[in-house]
Amino acid sequence: MGRLARISAYTRPLHISIGNVSMSLNSSDQPLLQQARIRYRDFPGSRSDGFQITLNRPANPSPSPPNFEYCLRGSRLRVSHSKAEFIDVAHEYALDSLIRILLTVALLPKDGFLLHAASVVREGKAHVFVGRSGAGKSTVASLSPEGTVLTDEISLLRKTDGVWRAHGTPFWGEFRAGGINESYPVAAIHCLVQAAETRLEPIRPKDLLRAILPCVLFFSSGTEANGDLLNILMLFAQSIPCFRLHFRKDPSFWGAIAQ
Amino acid sequence: MTSLHQDASAVFRRNPKLAWREIDGEVVIISPDDSVLHELNETASAVWRHIDGKLPLGEIVKTLAETYDAPVETVQADVEELAADLTAKNLLLTSEGEG
Repeated sequence: MGRLARISAYTRPLHISIGNVSMSLNSSDQPLLQQARIRYRDFPGSRSDGFQITLNRPANPSPSPPNFEYCLRGSRLRVSHSKAEFIDVAHEYALDSLIRILLTVALLPKDGFLLHAASVVREGKAHVFVGRSGAGKSTVASLSPEGTVLTDEISLLRKTDGVWRAHGTPFWGEFRAGGINESYPVAAIHCLVQAAETRLEPIRPKDLLRAILPCVLFFSSGTEANGDLLNILMLFAQSIPCFRLHFRKDPSFWGAIAQ
Repeated sequence: MTSLHQDASAVFRRNPKLAWREIDGEVVIISPDDSVLHELNETASAVWRHIDGKLPLGEIVKTLAETYDAPVETVQADVEELAADLTAKNLLLTSEGEG
């Protein structure tokens, strides 16, 4: 391979797709881009018409203010229409955080959101287990059959063609297994509550809204954006069977769900 | 409980920074600045719906008393207490105040 071909290969963007949101990472920061290639290897994208992300490039004065801007521990995200700038990204974890934030922005007009929840596939449908850190998301994942866990940490939920689907994500918690880049219709959502005995309690959409709101990843303080988010969450809560899962942290919960 | 008494001619408006919707006939409100969810019960939701920045509190009390067939004095006490509570939480603004 000639020198020119090598340079060309090194500078090609990284196309990824998470929850059918296409993103292209453009950067001359080869070590970081290489880490990203490994991290997102199971979520390849083939399109170059998604979000164009410039990563750690010298600041290019923009003629207009961004639609959305967010700073996170020294790194900065600026989003304008279908373009985004990731600035001062020091390592792959910061890059991963900015991709999550960008996804929350990109999903909003597509009836989608990110939720601190594990998603597990059973009989062709996804069960979503929501809860804060320590609620038992990773335990649910570890007690589920191999190859059925879409994520143990961040679920991507999105309405497509009238159907709510749970998408696998590359965002993982303690489970640390490889992400499944697939999506399945959502069967139900379960709010995890640790308990001595496992049982399933139906809850009202309003109760679900109260339970999931603290677990939704959302970074905008805009009134319109928050109104849009509220619309999406209400739509979700009113469409999907909602339960409180009193959870003993053993596999008996699958029996309760099957009933 | 807040004991701020409102004049019947006082006019309130919803804080324009808030996002709110109705679910199961009850109002839920997100305060984007602190991502806090506020929930109103059925009665409080009815009051919230009537608050439009124009209607004086006394008119809202009268309407609700007729709707619920309740004594005006009782409704007035409840609405005043609610208005004071929501104002303290910056969900309602008085016609003079800005949040």
